[in-house]
Amino acid sequence: MHMKTTTTNRLGLPNLGLGVGLRSKHYSYLMRNDPVVDWFEIISENYMNNFGYARHILEYVAGIRPIVMHGVSMSIGSTDPLNTAYLQQLKELADFVQPVWISDHLCWTGVAHINTHDLLPMPLTMESLQHVAARVQKVQEFLGRPLVLENPSTYMEFEASTLYEWEFLSELVRRTGCGLLLDVNNVFVSSYNHNFDPELYIRSIPHHAVVQIHLAGPTSCGPYLIDTHDQPVPTPVWHLYRLAQELTGGVSTLLEWDANIPDYPELIAELNIAKAVMRDEFPDVPVFRAEQEVVPTPLDHQMQVEHE
Amino acid sequence: MSELATLQRWLTSIIIRPGKFHDKILAADHTYELDHTRVVRSSPAVSGTERMQIYARGYVLRLMECLRADYPILQHLLGDALFDMFAQAYLAHVPPQSYSLFDLGTNFPDFLLASRPQHTAEQQQFDLPIELARLERARAEVYRSKGTESNTHGTPYEQPVFFMFESEKLATPPCLRLLKLQYPLISFVKAVEQGEQPPIPPPRDSLVAVSRKNYTIHMQELEPWQWHFLHELETTGNYVQAVQESAPLSAMPQDTLWANLMLWVPVAVDLGYISKQS
Repeated sequence: MHMKTTTTNRLGLPNLGLGVGLRSKHYSYLMRNDPVVDWFEIISENYMNNFGYARHILEYVAGIRPIVMHGVSMSIGSTDPLNTAYLQQLKELADFVQPVWISDHLCWTGVAHINTHDLLPMPLTMESLQHVAARVQKVQEFLGRPLVLENPSTYMEFEASTLYEWEFLSELVRRTGCGLLLDVNNVFVSSYNHNFDPELYIRSIPHHAVVQIHLAGPTSCGPYLIDTHDQPVPTPVWHLYRLAQELTGGVSTLLEWDANIPDYPELIAELNIAKAVMRDEFPDVPVFRAEQEVVPTPLDHQMQVEHE
Repeated sequence: MSELATLQRWLTSIIIRPGKFHDKILAADHTYELDHTRVVRSSPAVSGTERMQIYARGYVLRLMECLRADYPILQHLLGDALFDMFAQAYLAHVPPQSYSLFDLGTNFPDFLLASRPQHTAEQQQFDLPIELARLERARAEVYRSKGTESNTHGTPYEQPVFFMFESEKLATPPCLRLLKLQYPLISFVKAVEQGEQPPIPPPRDSLVAVSRKNYTIHMQELEPWQWHFLHELETTGNYVQAVQESAPLSAMPQDTLWANLMLWVPVAVDLGYISKQS
């Protein structure tokens, strides 16, 4: 079958190659060893207003590899006013790190000034689209650069929704010029949970706007999948990755692993499977099945500190 | 209120409110005049209610994990069940507002204090966990605060005169926390971190400094005159005034305190209790 590919654009942003998330578990390893990877992604909120060892490591890593800032609390879809204090601190961190781009999620984290620290799903309506587009434009003006938004894993849909997520994102890109962070694992999770074709999703988004791809391993809880970031990437997600790389013409790839984080060499071995996949060599990895209750979007890795 | 705002308030209230899940849904339906069966799509495999429950359950589990990571020694002291009970009550009482997970546990020591029983005899059982929570919170704050690592003044031993003749430039750094505790907890905390099962220490006043030097956190018990001097220096920002005000608090003649400080200030600088302002 002939595959339609796009002229690579990525908002003019570079293909950084293969990267991993910068996590405190690997700080001491990275201070003593070659990081091997092409680039790192940080969780922005971990380093905002943080002037301890984490900031020191970030400064070191930013000196040897490109950094991308990935946020979880911009709450771009919330009906609360934009949090200007948050944006100011985000900008201050960006001034320090000089990231290649800044990303967050198509979601909201709470209202009435409450932050649930979850990536809550948007009702995919025209009202939401207008609301989010206006806020994306404000954020882009404030940051002086395009915002890159990721599709989240979702576990529920609103009856009010009138758009598919790929339609919502496509129109958002058209209206705002924002970029997309295509999380192929999230597409896989949501497609399972909401019974849509994940390949159709990936074929339908504007490929020229895809700046980055996320890979991760989910967990099966029987009738639904949870985005746990704690497992190897399963075979179906690798197939979606292969498709996305073909359609986009090649974009930066980031492996996310946020709970039960493996040692650094093991993490890199998992990341390097991406190279084999691009040669059409797919690993045989089933989706992990949970034996006990699992936590979506684990965050406690952000709390790890080291004492004397 | 727009449809989007209504849906977001409706779902937030279901996620963060304590209580039985079904009751929370009914309360939210009533408050926002919605019918959950018409708001969230169901599938043959997973009902709309089960789908909402993924978010509600995840909210509690995720933030509980963060509090456990923030207060590991307190969790060891209380045991998992009791710690989780307090942590869950705390989250219900004080839903998170900050974008930063670091702020999640800020008020946990105060919450434990406010949760103490009214009877004096029972209150004492709560003193140790509260004091431990204060110490763990202080360590977390010191870990992230602005430190002295980028100072390029050299060690006090390399510049032996600056603290004698430029005392007006001496100040406590942002990464210092001074605590008055009712229990000597430092050895207890270190033993738990080594994987030991130390006995609970008997109560005794303990004046503690938590500091950071070269990105390593230090906890040390101080002499009363040392602690009061640092506390007054932190409060007043003035070395001479700190000496004058801390001497009576330490029950020490001023000239003795001056003499003690001549010897101790270089040590305090080296330990990161005092830094030189540029």
